[in-house]
Amino acid sequence: MTDERMFDHRPDPELGAALRQALEPRDGTQAAFVDRVLVRYDAAQAAAGVPTWDVLAAWARPRVAAAVAVAALCGFLVGRALQAPDDASFDTAFEPTSGPGLAALVTASAPPDASVVFASLVEPR
Amino acid sequence: MGSETEGELVARTRAGDKAAFGALVDRYAGQARRVARAVLDDPDEADDAAQDGFLSALVKLDRYDARRPFGPWLMRIVANAATDRRRRRRVRRAEPLDPGLVGGGPRPDTEAVRSELGDRLRAALAELSPRRRTAVVLFDVEGYSHAEIAEILGIPEGTVRSEVFHARRRLRTLLADWKGA
Repeated sequence: MTDERMFDHRPDPELGAALRQALEPRDGTQAAFVDRVLVRYDAAQAAAGVPTWDVLAAWARPRVAAAVAVAALCGFLVGRALQAPDDASFDTAFEPTSGPGLAALVTASAPPDASVVFASLVEPR
Repeated sequence: MGSETEGELVARTRAGDKAAFGALVDRYAGQARRVARAVLDDPDEADDAAQDGFLSALVKLDRYDARRPFGPWLMRIVANAATDRRRRRRVRRAEPLDPGLVGGGPRPDTEAVRSELGDRLRAALAELSPRRRTAVVLFDVEGYSHAEIAEILGIPEGTVRSEVFHARRRLRTLLADWKGA
């Protein structure tokens, strides 16, 4: 192959023939190759005959059902939480179960007894 | 069957004629196997890829535009099948192939009948990038045009010209001593 051949934009018959020989499959394997492809013909056709959406739908159906169930459960829980009575206002939260209460303590002119402050902090509501 | 045109065979294959598909496979088997081997080196793996390509083409035949030549369309599918296999193989094998093993390892039954030139060419091809050797095989062996190869490989036509040029130059260098001997 000359330099001209390398730049030539036509096939090089000499190189082509040599490469063809180098890449040629083993003798007598052509018919066997055709047979092995045809053996898979039916399976390939069958796979091609199943529409993609059917495959996706079959795959997705159980997951869609699971997602609907989870969504329903979440909806039920959220709905129940929203319907619960709102009886925990700030006033009731600061209302003491016993004693003078927080408002009385912070507005009193005389400092409260330490035991009263401690009791208002640790007493369960 | 042998006298039927390519278009007729494609039409019959589309209609579900298995024999017509067999005729198409027979017509393009050599070309597909050589192209797959240009990508993969290994002859057995190349046959697997060529088979994948034919069956993939069968499944996609509805998408083939019958006004265009069938060969480049099929070769693109075969080249893609071979490239996919090569990619998967690269993932499986962390180590690069030993150049001495390129070609599928020792195959005493076939090595004996291969010529020295064939051995040198295979070794020379193995040193080229897959795209470069596929381009030169499609051009110089299979006779496809630069434009068709560009379509097959999914690269610009100018890149094809460059790949063929560099492949030829490399092959020439590697074969120079053989030709001189």
